Amino acid sequence: MILAGRVVLGIACLVVWHAAHLALGAEWISSPADIVTRTVEIAIDGELWRHTLATLTEATFGFLLGGGAGILVPFALRLSPRLTAALDPFFAAAMGVPKLALAPLLILWFGIGITSKVMFVAAVVFFFLFFNTLAGVRSVDPRLASAVRVLGAREWTVTWEIAWHTALPYVFAGLKVALPRAISAAVVGEFIAADRGLGHYINNARAMADTVGLFTGVAVVTLLVLGIDTLLERLQARSLAWQPLTRDAGV
Amino acid sequence: MSDTAAPLLEVRGLGKRFEPRGARAEGLWAIRELSFAVGEREFVTIVGPSGSGKSTLLNLIAQIDAPSEGEIRFGGRSIASPTSGALRPGWERQFGYVTQDDTLLPWRTLADNVLFPLRVQGRLDAETRERARRLMQAVGLQGFEQHYPHELSGGMRKRAALIRTLVYDPPVILMDEPFGALDAQTRAQLQADLLKLWNGGRKTIVFVTHDIAEAIALGDRTLVFTRAPARVQSEHRIAIPRPRDVRNVYGLDGFPELYERIRKELA
Repeated sequence: MILAGRVVLGIACLVVWHAAHLALGAEWISSPADIVTRTVEIAIDGELWRHTLATLTEATFGFLLGGGAGILVPFALRLSPRLTAALDPFFAAAMGVPKLALAPLLILWFGIGITSKVMFVAAVVFFFLFFNTLAGVRSVDPRLASAVRVLGAREWTVTWEIAWHTALPYVFAGLKVALPRAISAAVVGEFIAADRGLGHYINNARAMADTVGLFTGVAVVTLLVLGIDTLLERLQARSLAWQPLTRDAGV
Repeated sequence: MSDTAAPLLEVRGLGKRFEPRGARAEGLWAIRELSFAVGEREFVTIVGPSGSGKSTLLNLIAQIDAPSEGEIRFGGRSIASPTSGALRPGWERQFGYVTQDDTLLPWRTLADNVLFPLRVQGRLDAETRERARRLMQAVGLQGFEQHYPHELSGGMRKRAALIRTLVYDPPVILMDEPFGALDAQTRAQLQADLLKLWNGGRKTIVFVTHDIAEAIALGDRTLVFTRAPARVQSEHRIAIPRPRDVRNVYGLDGFPELYERIRKELA
């Protein structure tokens, strides 16, 4: 029933899109058919894979760096609540810095290669995971922690068993926002200076007034984000199977 | 109380003051000048008006919280006083604690929750696993091993919490209204289960309740607490012979008189 609805809605979107293409002309709106044709072309000549791989590599390393730190730092801060309180305004200030504005600076520092994009992705991703994980670590139920200590658990076990499991739904909420941003950040970084990547492909298409190329680039990035989101949903459903009504609670 | 041997657990002049909030400069004494002793393998029940510091007392014995004055002695040595330094929850696994709150780990299955203390204590082997299995069977939890806590009824969760403490065999078990939130049927069943398990391998139990009938039905001795700050108002030996039928406490010999006496003291 839901599936049928989705198919109908999807077809309706394509029809509207195609109508807009006919009304406004190919130089403004590419037709869905042209985008599919272009995608197949660049898939065959290898360009698609080269750019996708470059963007994915930047996003992955940046994500591991920024996301890893964003998850681990709150657990380290758990050891010292006073330090956490002291650092609070600094984290808030750092969160306030518009990350997109940092991209040119990072390129100045790290060059136009992969490193600048990795750093950019890391800076964007870190804060999403940091603040979510911190909220999760702070919501540990002290009664649960006491009970586990009475049962003979050491501090290390309390962190792993209680803090980690309590924070995990928060971590997933952070990932849900951070993963698409990681891809976006890599693409934005490539707009500014790069010799490969989907952002480079899109920017190149713009320079050559290649509307089909622009649309194709955006479509591929969208599919990439959707694919990653689906994997994340699966992982979340498996990891949080113990939660009652995950679906309703996760909205 | 057994007057012959030294008591296993002794509370001497214990006091607990909670820090003042706002204008109340004195703070609040939940417990003050509280003294009593518990013999080895004795089942002591404590009744008192609600808010009379009973849970605070158990938190102090379990070393989840530190006393403001007085001391707690265990096996002849002082284990907690205002100057005894860092808290050691459970005092090296000597005290099991079944709390009022549901403290099963929601992300672990029933079996994993029951095995959890054995795992963190590094004592999980074929023998202890078998012990866990027999305990789960004794309280009717077999068949639910792979369920998560939220998939179990309140009564089953209470049974699991009880078994989780019995499985590692601490010499003293503290219980804070463990059956408080249950319906009468389930409650009677759990009381019967507890007595059966206790008769099987007698532990020292300190059991807090606000239910006079429960206190009499289960205990060897009942302490009646005053309002906060809590002190022992009176104590009653429960001479009712064991095994006792908890489903029919009112018919037990001497029960009605004892019940009336304690009820009047609490009124």
